[in-house]
Amino acid sequence: MEQPTESSPGEGSEIILDDSRFDVSRKVLLTDGFMTWFIKFGGVMVVAAVIGIFVFITSQVLPLFKGASVELDAATTTTEALPKGNYLGIAADEWMEKPLAIRDDGKFIYSDLVTGEVLESEFDFLEGDKMTALRIESGEDLIVAGTESGQVHLIEFSYSPTFKDGVRTVNEDLNLAFTGEFNGPVTKVSCGQSGDSRLIAVLTETEEGPHLELDLVQRKKSLISAGDWKEVGKTDLTETLRSDVAVQEILVTNRADAVLVVFENGEIDYHFRSGSGLNTELRQTFQPFADLNEKKIKNADFLLGDVSLVLTSPEGVNRLFSLYRSEEEPTRMFHQTKEFPALPDTPAFYSPSFRNKAFLTGTSNTATLRYATTETIRWESELPWEVTHALISRKSDSLLFLTEDRHFVRVPVDDPHPEAGIKAFFGKQLYEGSSEAKYEWQSTGGSDDFEAKLSLIPLIFGTLKGTFYAMLFAVPIALFGAIYTAEFLDPKNKVFIKPAMEVMASLPSVVLGFLAALWLAPMIEDRVPSVLCIVVLVPLGAFLFGMLWSRQPRNIKKYVREGYEFLYFAPIMLILLFLGWQMGPLVESLIFTVKDPNTGERVGDFARWWPSITGTAYEQRNSLVVGFMMGFAVIPIVFTIAEDSLSNVPDTLRTGSLALGASRWQTAWRIVLPTASAGILSAIMIGLGRAVGETMIVVMATGNTPIMEWNIFSGMRTLSANIAVELPEAPHHGTLYRTLFLGAVVLFLMTFLVNTIAEVLRQHLREKYKTV
Amino acid sequence: MTNTTAENTTEEAVETAPTTPEGAKLDYIKVEDFSFNYTPEVRVLDKITMDIPEKQVTSFIGPSGCGKTTLLRNFNRMNDLIPGITHEGTIHIDGQEIFDKKLEVISLRKRIRMIFQKANPFPKSIYENVVYSLRVAGRNNKALLDEVVETSLRGAALWDEVKDRLHDSALGLSGGQMQRLSIAHAIANQPEVLLMDEPCSALDPIATAKIEELICKLKNKFTVIIVTHNMQQATRVSDQTAYFYLGKMIEMNATQEIFRNPSCEETERYISGKFG
Ligand SMILES: Nc1ncnc2c1ncn2[C@@H]1O[C@H](COP(=O)(O)OP(=O)(O)OP(=O)(O)O)[C@@H](O)[C@H]1O
Ligand SMILES: [Mg+2]
Repeated sequence: MEQPTESSPGEGSEIILDDSRFDVSRKVLLTDGFMTWFIKFGGVMVVAAVIGIFVFITSQVLPLFKGASVELDAATTTTEALPKGNYLGIAADEWMEKPLAIRDDGKFIYSDLVTGEVLESEFDFLEGDKMTALRIESGEDLIVAGTESGQVHLIEFSYSPTFKDGVRTVNEDLNLAFTGEFNGPVTKVSCGQSGDSRLIAVLTETEEGPHLELDLVQRKKSLISAGDWKEVGKTDLTETLRSDVAVQEILVTNRADAVLVVFENGEIDYHFRSGSGLNTELRQTFQPFADLNEKKIKNADFLLGDVSLVLTSPEGVNRLFSLYRSEEEPTRMFHQTKEFPALPDTPAFYSPSFRNKAFLTGTSNTATLRYATTETIRWESELPWEVTHALISRKSDSLLFLTEDRHFVRVPVDDPHPEAGIKAFFGKQLYEGSSEAKYEWQSTGGSDDFEAKLSLIPLIFGTLKGTFYAMLFAVPIALFGAIYTAEFLDPKNKVFIKPAMEVMASLPSVVLGFLAALWLAPMIEDRVPSVLCIVVLVPLGAFLFGMLWSRQPRNIKKYVREGYEFLYFAPIMLILLFLGWQMGPLVESLIFTVKDPNTGERVGDFARWWPSITGTAYEQRNSLVVGFMMGFAVIPIVFTIAEDSLSNVPDTLRTGSLALGASRWQTAWRIVLPTASAGILSAIMIGLGRAVGETMIVVMATGNTPIMEWNIFSGMRTLSANIAVELPEAPHHGTLYRTLFLGAVVLFLMTFLVNTIAEVLRQHLREKYKTV
Repeated sequence: MTNTTAENTTEEAVETAPTTPEGAKLDYIKVEDFSFNYTPEVRVLDKITMDIPEKQVTSFIGPSGCGKTTLLRNFNRMNDLIPGITHEGTIHIDGQEIFDKKLEVISLRKRIRMIFQKANPFPKSIYENVVYSLRVAGRNNKALLDEVVETSLRGAALWDEVKDRLHDSALGLSGGQMQRLSIAHAIANQPEVLLMDEPCSALDPIATAKIEELICKLKNKFTVIIVTHNMQQATRVSDQTAYFYLGKMIEMNATQEIFRNPSCEETERYISGKFG
């Protein structure tokens, strides 16, 4: 690197030309190294944060897909066996610490699962009589017992906890609430409660044969005490019995609105009780196992809510019948809705859950926990004991078995989300009371026996619907706007457009939602025909105007500078807008007419016309409003990115095309647009992402009804709105809470999928239309 | 002085150009006192007056930055796209004032085709690039397009190289191939005037020879104006030569005349390579 020094003039040339000029300064190296690491670190942190969020959400969601776990090894059992005898039923307290077993001689025997002791209660209601019928209505804390002498006793059982030094002791109590008199020995009893009255169904065996009677008792409340139960009246249903078949079981619903009589031949009579009196009608007779060889029913009982009946045949066939009204029937009747896998043998016990639509059933040495809504088996196992009775605890956190050798066994259950599962979230379900399988979202209801409907499909549908209408409105406007701005507008005017768009983009969506709900929705509500007119008139007018304009000879066009055509165009559009708005009522009175039910005349009313023609609803806060407002949020994003990518198309391509005799529109359409297509696709996708995740506008501008129809005049509920609406009310770590997180995962996957497809397409387009 | 030379040369050009067909106009493109500014401060073209004859090849020579491209771009009004330009004087093509407000620019550009100094094919296939000018004119007949593609590519000496990959992207071509492609798409729709801005600047001698051959063939059909920095090329292909210097047209004459016997000193110095 020796340079001839004589050729370089000046004194300092020697210093300049020494070898140090090839050195890199330490500062440069340090900065470079630091920045490299800093950027790497930042990048890794961002990736870690995203993965962290995803892992967290997934960890919140995963428990939903776990089955029940029942730890048979962790069973607690009584040390002593119960006294010898034949036990007819069991009941227990909330904590399952002091279960109660009732012996056929009318003795109540408590067992203490904490100490392992067995204690026989002093309580004696028989006074020498003999117990011939027993039913424990656990849901009502009631024991109903019938005797040989024709008496029916209602015994209320209750438990009260006392705390001493933080240790809970459960104290039991029994109270004979009512005794009724009937003719002849009682063979079957059942009881239900509605308001202040109880309905007791009693089957007695007299000399003339069986007698079925309903007994209505009422409590006369006084100021001081709860009052005593008094008989109000009786009604006889003996006529409905069969002369040749015996009654196997009678069931009164908890709400006392129905009495079911199960016969030995497998038939069931459904008596409906209307009102609060004793009026009943026989609504239906059905045979659940009519299609099998063995038509008998071994076990029949209700699920929580008393709308569904779980039936098991002696061979273990396990079916669910629910009340619903089908098309051809005038009233609700029982129909088969589900069939579970059969039990291996004759059923030995049945117990419905007190919290949800789960039930416990099994044979003498197997047990299975099933969930009715989703028709799934939550847990199934062989039992190490021979079992005669079983009970699900009130909190659904343990199972209680009474074994053949008269020990109580309590087994802990961990099944926090029985109603969840792939089927529940994504499958069609036949919900109680509905005549067909549906996708439905309804997470909370008015009562405790409510059946959770957790299908995410209506929410996914709502998300797609909202996005669709928003994009339908936003994409054409944003793209044509971008093309106009990039290709036709005078560059001087561009400086006004961009800031305007930025202001538009920076409007908080809650403001847009507020506007949509309180201004746009009420305004559009009775001016839909006006909106339709505008939607037709404005684009049509724009098109016609453009066509006319392009047909004008040069000497007219020369008065308008290129790039300033909008000055002539805008007023025309405004006039059309105004015209459309004013024309609405006229169009409405001509086309959208319905017969006024009061006057009989035909009047224009779109809000009534639409449902009468399409059969779908018309709501004030509908997809049209959401489409407009969400479009408003999406337009600036799509516009800005699309405009940028159009402007980035090299000018040489434009001049090249113009030089070949293409018009400006041909240039824009054939050269600029394809070249910018990758960027435009990105613009649409980012807009789509915004619309899919948009929350506030949807929450405020729709009724948030999770319906599944494309009808533009009805609302929707999107996944994101669903999270916003329900999260405040979802108990931490509950099923709903986790399901909302699942909604978030689905939303994430949806955007991920869309973005991946878009990215692949974009790469393809970029490759195809890259410029030199 | 410039004026008189121009008049003299046109007369001589008729004598020295036996290839000129009968009835061709000598002032097919008539430039009168034409001045042009990109920005108000700098005048790029200064009072240019010249007549360009029909169906002959005219070459523009002159040092870099003297305004050759600018003048060429004015002939089909490509400069309209640049904001802030101003011009004075007139240009008539075939008797038509091209700056007339009533004139339809698009049809002007269809008649007067320009090949740019820097080739930039569209991000489309080779085939689509060639037929673009037909497509925008609404001519979509497949047989016609196929024929045009072949004749244009043959004319631009590109056919043999690309005939097997007509539907590949034009962006995969080499710089020289791209330049020939732009010639192909300029001649595809049979314009009346062909403006070529250094069409051979990226080509090897063989391709250059082919292009020159093409220009000689074309001149019976079209009026060709070619900007070139290659003196030999100007002598080989052109009938007329105009020399520009610092925005002025210094001299225009029949090609043999200007190279053999330039009337201005600057012209002589430029031609003989003493500056430029
Ligand atoms: N778009 C433009 N805006 C402003 N000035 C320009 C523009 N294009 C060209 N010029 C200037 O105008 C003058 C003439 O340019 P022009 O391109 O016509 O030269 P040229 O003779 O074609 O040169 P070359 O032989 O190098 O191509 C130059 O000084 C150039 O800097
Ligand atoms: Mg040039």
